[in-house]
Amino acid sequence: MTARRLVDIASHAYVWFILVVFVVPFAALLVYSFTGPGGTYAIANFQYVLGSFRDNLVWSFRISGLTLLLDLLIALPAAYALVRYPFPGKRLLFSGLTLPLYVPGAVIGISLILVYNFTYHLTTSEWGLVLAMTIGTFPLMLLPIVVALKDLPTVFEEAAECLGATRWQTFWRIVFPLIGPGVSAGLMLSFIIVFNEYLVTLFVHPPNITTAPLRVFNLVRTAGLAPTTAALAVTMQLISFAAVLLFFKVFGTRYLKGTYLI
Amino acid sequence: MATVRLTNVTKRFGQTLAVDDLSLDVADGELVTLLGPSGCGKTTSLRMLAGLVEPTSGRIFFDDQDVTFVPPRSRNIGFVFQTPALFPHLSVADNVAFGLSVKGQKKAIVAPRVDQMLALVGLSDYGARLPAQLSGGQQQRVALARVLATDPRVLLFDEPLSALDRNLRDSLKYSILDLQRQTRKTAVYVTHDQSEAFAISDRIVVMNAGHVEQIGTQTDIYLHPQTPFVAEFIGATNGFAGKITATDGGAGDTGRLVVSADGLTLRCRSRGELALGDDVLVYLRPENVVVLNDGDGSGYENVVEGVIDRVIFEGPTAQLRVDVGGREIRADVSGGERLTLVERHGRVRLGFNDLTLIPARRS
Repeated sequence: MTARRLVDIASHAYVWFILVVFVVPFAALLVYSFTGPGGTYAIANFQYVLGSFRDNLVWSFRISGLTLLLDLLIALPAAYALVRYPFPGKRLLFSGLTLPLYVPGAVIGISLILVYNFTYHLTTSEWGLVLAMTIGTFPLMLLPIVVALKDLPTVFEEAAECLGATRWQTFWRIVFPLIGPGVSAGLMLSFIIVFNEYLVTLFVHPPNITTAPLRVFNLVRTAGLAPTTAALAVTMQLISFAAVLLFFKVFGTRYLKGTYLI
Repeated sequence: MATVRLTNVTKRFGQTLAVDDLSLDVADGELVTLLGPSGCGKTTSLRMLAGLVEPTSGRIFFDDQDVTFVPPRSRNIGFVFQTPALFPHLSVADNVAFGLSVKGQKKAIVAPRVDQMLALVGLSDYGARLPAQLSGGQQQRVALARVLATDPRVLLFDEPLSALDRNLRDSLKYSILDLQRQTRKTAVYVTHDQSEAFAISDRIVVMNAGHVEQIGTQTDIYLHPQTPFVAEFIGATNGFAGKITATDGGAGDTGRLVVSADGLTLRCRSRGELALGDDVLVYLRPENVVVLNDGDGSGYENVVEGVIDRVIFEGPTAQLRVDVGGREIRADVSGGERLTLVERHGRVRLGFNDLTLIPARRS
């Protein structure tokens, strides 16, 4: 056996070791979610997902949808202005807009409680929660769009304008489709974060709204880890996983470049 | 039907003067080329005509309309870029239709117009394809069709052939010229390639460092360059600085004079404003230098003798570098002639007429 072969085996072993470290917890959760009383196999755990957990999943989807919409409405014009126009204080604005990326969720939560309580009285409304999520995920929407726009040569916009298109037409008919992969990357990242976020929700959620991750958190805290709770957790994981798969299925690796222009 | 007029147009980018006091009239249906090296301000001038760049001062008119600050979309222009810039997510037909559809034209009007334009550029069967499925030359043709579909007042070309390979460049060059002639559109064409400019222009504007060096027809520019820059840029690579040492007193352009340049004595046609003792620059185009057979020299005002330094074979032509008393004179000969020259390596005699005289700048 040559030294080279030894190195080969060692590197393979290393890769498999890392893989196991990452995958084992999820696999364990999956197995546990199918565990019935007395160690039997029970698919019944998943009936709770459509039963008593259904409302929590619906809330999660609803909060995610509204947040993504709001994110997009702010990020598109912001990214366009940041990339296409020179203006004073641009770098400062960009740093400000990406700030939530570097701020811990708990800090965002406390800050929002403070602000909401004293100014907007939003602590107990659905929109308060959506706004909180938007603040937390906005940079994730902004960054891929900024990258996609930077990669998009201005010549397409110039060509459209010379052909008589207004700025509005140029944006929606040319720019938006061409930065599609960037926009979708932002949507995917933001969705996964919002859908699974429990910390910020814990701080600002109204009493009548319990999202799926918050439900998991509450159940584990009060009743320990039950197999039914594991089933909900696994479902959330599958939904997130499906979002990622869908993204790669539709856009392949094009999102890495940000645009269609490979 | 449109004329284009620029009056004293200047553009500064911060401290940089990109275009300096450019004035130009383009007649209806005329094709004018802005020719110059990169950074001479030709592209900036074109972009100001399109409205993509606003001038710092000066005015731009299409016919009698002042369009200086009119946005591109309201100028009714056709701009062909260096890259085809076809919208990659739209089919060829949708690309050609774009200019009409943003104006809210009905499908029934747009579709036949698109077919007509694609036929005009010889790509009738390509409407359903995506731009990425076309070659570079085909893409640039689609770009032409897209621009012509809107029936623009003025066509603007920004080095549309520079991204293509040589053979394509040649054929597309004449397609552009033919289309411009057929449609009788006023056109401004930017290039850094003098042969392209000579091939298609009604008039050429030679630009350098933001200002105009000379405006004239191909013949004007080729035979009578007015400045050293123009002479060198159009390929008169043999240049000598000298002084007028004798004249026969003939008036205007009919007399002859003798220039002593660096030990060479050159005879040439006089130019009105020049007098005995003036400092001049003498230019000689390599294609006007003839390699003489032994003993023959009749018909040439100037005959010099030198030693072949290098022969550079370029296919149809060959470049000869001849050492004449320590000075290099370049001569272009045919590729076939080169073969006999190689055998005759060593001393050659060169004959030439048609020297271009330019007064040396007194500074």
